[in-house]
Amino acid sequence: MGSLGINIPSGIVVGISLVIGLAMVLVFGYTSDQKAIHIAKDRLKAHLLALRLFQDQIRVVLRSYLRIVLATGHYLRLAFKPLLFVIVPITFLIVQVDRYLGSVPLSAGQTFLIQARIDDPELLNQASLQLPTGLASTAPAVHEPAENRIAWRLIAERAGEYAVNVQVADQLFAKSVVVGSGVQRLSPVRLRGKFWERFFVSAEPALPANKSVEAIDVQYPAREIAFAGVEWNWIWLFFVLSMAAGFLFKSILGIEI
Amino acid sequence: MTFGRKVLLADRRRFAACLALLALILLCPTRSHAYAGPGAGFAVLSSFWALFVAFLYSVYAFLVWPFRQLFRLLRHRNVYAKAEIKRAVILGFDGMDPELTERFIAEGRLPNLAKLRGQGTFRKLATTYPAISPVAWSTFMTGVNPGKHNIYDFLARDLSNYLPYLSSAEIKGPNRSWKIGKYSIPLGGPKIKGMRRGIPFWHWLGEAGIFCSVLRVPVTFPPEKFSGVLLSGMCVPDLKGSQGTFCFCTTRPSNDKFREGGVRVPIERIGSSFASHIPGPENPLGGGSGDELRVRFEIRLDPAKNEARFAVDSASFTLKVGEYSEWIPLKFKAGVGFNAHGIARFYLKEIYPEVEVYVTPVNIDPGRPDLPISHPVTYSIYLEKMFGPYATLGLAEDTWALNEKVLDDEAFLAQCYANHEDRERMLFDALEKTQQGLCACVFDTTDRVQHMFWRYLDEDHPAAREVPRAERPTVIQDLYARMDELIGRVMKQIDDQTLLMIVSDHGFKSFARCVNLNAWLHHAGYLVLKPGKTESGDWFDDVDWSRTRAYTMGLNGLYLNLKGREHEGVVEPGVEAESLKNELRRKLDGLVDPASRRVGITGVFDCDAVYAGPYVDNAPDLIVGYGEGYRASWDSVMGKVTSQIFEDNLKAWSGDHCVDPRLVPGVLFCNQKISDEKPAIVDVAPTVLKLFGLALPGYLDGKAWTVGISTSRSVELSPAS
Repeated sequence: MGSLGINIPSGIVVGISLVIGLAMVLVFGYTSDQKAIHIAKDRLKAHLLALRLFQDQIRVVLRSYLRIVLATGHYLRLAFKPLLFVIVPITFLIVQVDRYLGSVPLSAGQTFLIQARIDDPELLNQASLQLPTGLASTAPAVHEPAENRIAWRLIAERAGEYAVNVQVADQLFAKSVVVGSGVQRLSPVRLRGKFWERFFVSAEPALPANKSVEAIDVQYPAREIAFAGVEWNWIWLFFVLSMAAGFLFKSILGIEI
Repeated sequence: MTFGRKVLLADRRRFAACLALLALILLCPTRSHAYAGPGAGFAVLSSFWALFVAFLYSVYAFLVWPFRQLFRLLRHRNVYAKAEIKRAVILGFDGMDPELTERFIAEGRLPNLAKLRGQGTFRKLATTYPAISPVAWSTFMTGVNPGKHNIYDFLARDLSNYLPYLSSAEIKGPNRSWKIGKYSIPLGGPKIKGMRRGIPFWHWLGEAGIFCSVLRVPVTFPPEKFSGVLLSGMCVPDLKGSQGTFCFCTTRPSNDKFREGGVRVPIERIGSSFASHIPGPENPLGGGSGDELRVRFEIRLDPAKNEARFAVDSASFTLKVGEYSEWIPLKFKAGVGFNAHGIARFYLKEIYPEVEVYVTPVNIDPGRPDLPISHPVTYSIYLEKMFGPYATLGLAEDTWALNEKVLDDEAFLAQCYANHEDRERMLFDALEKTQQGLCACVFDTTDRVQHMFWRYLDEDHPAAREVPRAERPTVIQDLYARMDELIGRVMKQIDDQTLLMIVSDHGFKSFARCVNLNAWLHHAGYLVLKPGKTESGDWFDDVDWSRTRAYTMGLNGLYLNLKGREHEGVVEPGVEAESLKNELRRKLDGLVDPASRRVGITGVFDCDAVYAGPYVDNAPDLIVGYGEGYRASWDSVMGKVTSQIFEDNLKAWSGDHCVDPRLVPGVLFCNQKISDEKPAIVDVAPTVLKLFGLALPGYLDGKAWTVGISTSRSVELSPAS
């Protein structure tokens, strides 16, 4: 994905939020027991009203508290089924969007760390870094034997998508590094094995399974999106906007959530 | 293993698998999947919000509870210290008749009432003059005669034009409005004024710190503030402001109009579907132009399945022929911010060869009440959230629709019992919520069903002559058995500290013959029509008031056309008026029906003798007591003079109580011994106040009964099996 300009992230989040808000409300409407949810919510409201109406009768009030807890549990259980339908695709989508909007690429002239975690601390002394043109080392490697980790401080000299090679003994392990601006697909870490963790945080293929390097990571700065005069992490902005869109569409479509 | 258990187990396994999947996703370490779309967000937010509100309120309630209790203690001392009972449960069964009750007890149909009679008390309960529900229930709740509570009938007359108005409440538009062109924007809500005077006894209980739950007691609209909860009953209007206007939508062409209680609306064919509308209230922006708001609906037929699909606003539902819908929300839109919210049920009557749909009167939506129907306002909302939408109209059982043959017996009964079941749910909720204090609930079903099905009980009723006796349904027998079963369930809920009282406002008799009293007055020369006229229109159209000395409207009231009171009065107050009253009493008392040779009027009562209080001037001059089998004719009630004085009543409305009050006492059952031999409905209020240890206000007309409270009756009070 190429650079899309500085104001694009908020536009993307707004667009995704509207579409997801609509889609999720529709999915919720079709996959949930609308009548049961309506009744469950009404019961919940009734028990809340009972607290006020019968406030001088402590037995009624206590019973109402208990019923509120039970009704809430019942409501959550009813909302759980449609949640199952949406949670997998939404999680997949959010993971993918997070790769574009979760962090910003390194900028030219910025120093950053690249770290490799190696199985055998003995091999730390045999690790070295092969840098492409456009990236340069600014300090000698730092060994952390207690953590089985080695770190290099680098500087990004100009924009571009680079592959940095970590050499351990005679093995080479590549890691992508992106220098530039705007919205680009970033992979902060490359992992060996760990399917679920890799699914959620890495955008690169797995490191070879029976080799010595466990993980290589690059520390990209977190992205802050300016929206409505506030700096947002994209997931919070998505939360607020998709909720607002959901409220809007549920009212328009008459779907009980 | 049973099928049900297998399903339950499979359901649990599925639930466990789902839970595991969700846990897997949620436990994976990343921020991005902590939120899975607005569905999850709403679910979490809503439940969090409910718990958060409950938590906040619980903190508040626990913090202030000691202070509230201290305040209550200081204000009310120990309110129950002088009380003989902890709780009073009063079940009102409108129109439950003592003679029928005794008969059905003897037949073994009413085991719980039989048990109450055996262990406690059963008496006839003297009713009011006249024996009409709004009058009697007003006396029940205030403990005073009608001269002090100002309710003499459903209707009262406007002295300036002889036209009727509802006696219990007056609803007017807002005082001010803002005119913009042809539109008039109301500034403020409607003004509702209760016309019933007197103070209900639950007001005094509330003042003393005794909590009260009051459900559907007639003439409690508009609801008055007091310390407790109340849902209004009889006299709550529908959204049109009437006492119930059903809508009959049909493709069958007809110019006939229903006499009252309903409107006929055409159904139009549009391609393969049909469309019609439900008339609603007057457009509040119309500036009094009379334009009504409407809600359109569409019908798609499926003749193969004998059903139709309805689309009303955002709701859609399918009905088979002969089936009712649930309560459907209706929004009548006048403009931005000006909506009226109602609910109605649809009944698919026919789809071939014509399409016919009955729609109940549009009830005020209890979840979004445009008029207050409860105290506090949130109580009707609470009940709606707890049990779903319910009928709020005072006269919710559509007797007019059965009278006009729009509904058949079965459909009418289904409607009655659906409403009844809603009220039962409300009653049991109120019983649970009112462990101490008063719980009073009135059921209308007994009144409506007896009105409409007495024809099957009366061996020779003109409205059921074509139905062979062997084929007549036992509707009223079943009704009493059903109420007895309800009483049994209530008996299970009460302890030996609770007083249980079953009361009815009046009894019932057959209504086989109609008496047009206006026609009699016309024949006897007391009411004069304009030259050339032999009959009048409704509401005295064509009556010559300058020569009319007496007239009647409503069910039992007879009025003198009194000079200085009526707009065109001719009878001088004083000697002439007294003389005329005596003359009318003499002539009417014992009036014989020439066709049957039976007495049609068994008593005429001077209101000056039976009423006392500040509102006596609003009362009729005489109360006419019809004999058994007789009642004011439908025309006479509506101020119409016909040529016939007596005629058969051919309508389904075949039983009535608007007769000589001595003939239709109500019932009194109690789980305690009451020593008074002649209890009256006016005594209930002082008795309850006394049992709770309160001093009786001096203005009460009733007297407190001597109730022998026994506190070791818990075993005896178990309901009959």
